[in-house]
Amino acid sequence: MSQVLEWLQFVLAPQMINGLSIGVAVVLMALGLTIIFGLLDVINMAHGEFYAIGAYVAVAILGLGLSFWWALVLTPVLMAVLGYVTERGLIQRVFHSKDRHTLTLLLTFGIAVVLEDVLKIIFGANPLRIESPISGGTELLGLFFPNYRLFVMGLGALLIASVWLLVFRTSLGAMVRAAAYDRHMSASLGVPVSRVYAATFAFGVALAGISGVLLAPIYSVFPTMGRDFVLIAFSVVIIGSMGSIKGAVLAGLILTQIQSISSLFISPVWNDPLLFGIMVLVLMWRPQGLFGKLGHA
Amino acid sequence: MKLKLIATLISGATVSLSALAQSGPIRIGVVTPLSGTYAGIGQQVKWGLDMAAKEINATGGVMGRQLELIYEDEEANPAVAVQKAEKLFQVGKVDFLTGTVNSGSTLAVGQVAERNNRLIATTVSFADSITADKCSPNVFRVNARAGMQSAALAEWMASTKPNANVFYLGPDYEMGRSTVAAFKAAAEGKGAKTVGEVFAPLDNKDYSPFFGQIRSARPAVIYTSVAGNDTVRLFTQMAEFGLSRNVQVVGASGTVTSQNLAAIGKAADGFVTGVGYSPSIDLPENKKFVTAFEAANKAKPDLYGADSYGVLFFYKAAVEQAKSTETDKVRAAMRGIQWSTPQGVKTMRAGDHQAMQDMYAVRVNSGQFEIVGKVAANAAIGPDTCSKF
Repeated sequence: MSQVLEWLQFVLAPQMINGLSIGVAVVLMALGLTIIFGLLDVINMAHGEFYAIGAYVAVAILGLGLSFWWALVLTPVLMAVLGYVTERGLIQRVFHSKDRHTLTLLLTFGIAVVLEDVLKIIFGANPLRIESPISGGTELLGLFFPNYRLFVMGLGALLIASVWLLVFRTSLGAMVRAAAYDRHMSASLGVPVSRVYAATFAFGVALAGISGVLLAPIYSVFPTMGRDFVLIAFSVVIIGSMGSIKGAVLAGLILTQIQSISSLFISPVWNDPLLFGIMVLVLMWRPQGLFGKLGHA
Repeated sequence: MKLKLIATLISGATVSLSALAQSGPIRIGVVTPLSGTYAGIGQQVKWGLDMAAKEINATGGVMGRQLELIYEDEEANPAVAVQKAEKLFQVGKVDFLTGTVNSGSTLAVGQVAERNNRLIATTVSFADSITADKCSPNVFRVNARAGMQSAALAEWMASTKPNANVFYLGPDYEMGRSTVAAFKAAAEGKGAKTVGEVFAPLDNKDYSPFFGQIRSARPAVIYTSVAGNDTVRLFTQMAEFGLSRNVQVVGASGTVTSQNLAAIGKAADGFVTGVGYSPSIDLPENKKFVTAFEAANKAKPDLYGADSYGVLFFYKAAVEQAKSTETDKVRAAMRGIQWSTPQGVKTMRAGDHQAMQDMYAVRVNSGQFEIVGKVAANAAIGPDTCSKF
């Protein structure tokens, strides 16, 4: 019996806490994706690259001699500007076409390819390291956990809660949800729909950017860093229902827990196949995903 | 008459040419990575070779002939190494070739040497196969191979942590799997128990998902063969998660090197590995070598620098014994030859062209490698499994 308790405390618990810290990061990425999809009906293939740019912006800000905390505050602002410009300058141009789905998919995919190479040209292909701004670890009930990961978990949870409040408890969020539900009706009721679109896209990009900054000290920074990570975020969004905020949060946390706990018994290299397998099953039995849709929630 | 004159002229020219070849410098080709991932290793190779050539030339050369080194950058890419080696043999007319780092490059260049009937020696490559199942009559290795490093480490582990529970974490490719398999065999042979093994992709960013299996296995010793920046991340994260407390971390000789030691910092302290060289080997010839090396290059020699320095003395000894630079005569002389190096006297085993030398277990302590154990050459070398010659 004591052996089981010991296993729960010293083996399972740290693995689950670690899964939670990864889960919070995945949810932040998935939130941006699902909000952009829920409102604009655009599958943003460049989301991973915006995440990478967020990390590189932080590298540049640190290069100017400012602290990590400045990078954490300034990066989402700069990324929001970039997102706003991208939506207004590129996505709006093909948005009103009949082939909107195909065109925006191709457009954002093209943006992703270009951005990745731009990063390579400016910063080089080798990984860059950002020193973790919080060092050391905390020991709690015999468990040892790095302080920075605890910080990522806390701030991430705070951000997720803020997004939730913003979308469901403010008039701004009501406008966004209205525009997602029926844009013609919202427009005739005075909602500035096209600006809401651009602002929402900017918000999603800013979320990707801040995830990039937060995870940079853990994963280090390299041009293709968004590629693997965005696949996980995409699977989370698909499993949790495209466009659903609740779905992204719940699916993100559940799936990363499944990955973490399975890693105790099989090699963690199976994490991605496991995730994609679950995604295939969900698509087969419940193609609309496990939860509702933004605007309909 | 005219014809005869030309014939005489030509034969005269050939005679003087071959006379020139016998008295001119001995040309040694060096195919080594001077750029790219392994540029740091190539730098040590070049420092070691340049220093040895300078010393040999200053004391009269080899049989009165000077040594001339011709460098080519192989970018740690076997395909490039093959082209550069071919060029050195065909156009550069080199007598001997060395410098290859990547084990794949060494094997590929060995084939080029066979076709050109020349000899090569590697001073860096670890893969056991080079002097085992993939051995070649034209390839020699003067450095210690992976099996010898494992033997030294396993010996140290058996004496300090007898019958320990060992967990293995390797990079998921040929080198990672073969080093783990080799050390596991050596350690189990000395009584260690295996409590788990897992392989992470090369260039893995986050090792924390792998820690669950390590925690549940409760090892006393963790063996790893990750290298380069992977080591930096693994060791830093292990320290952050408190995983390296109360656990002895050991690993391959390439896991912690002078190149990534600074980036790992304190997290590297206590790490133990098996190697064929350390600047702290307590021999007069090594002390002399380290002092001269530091004066010339403003850096400490590592195993690559030391073995690359030694290879020219190996070639010198063989040529002087053969009294010729002809391939067959030099090869015959190289087999079983003894020559002196910073690590003491080494013997080239005739059966598989693998150098025999004393092996050391070294521990990282505040950025220095200190010697904590030693295994004699005979005990470390392992059986001769080469059947090609």
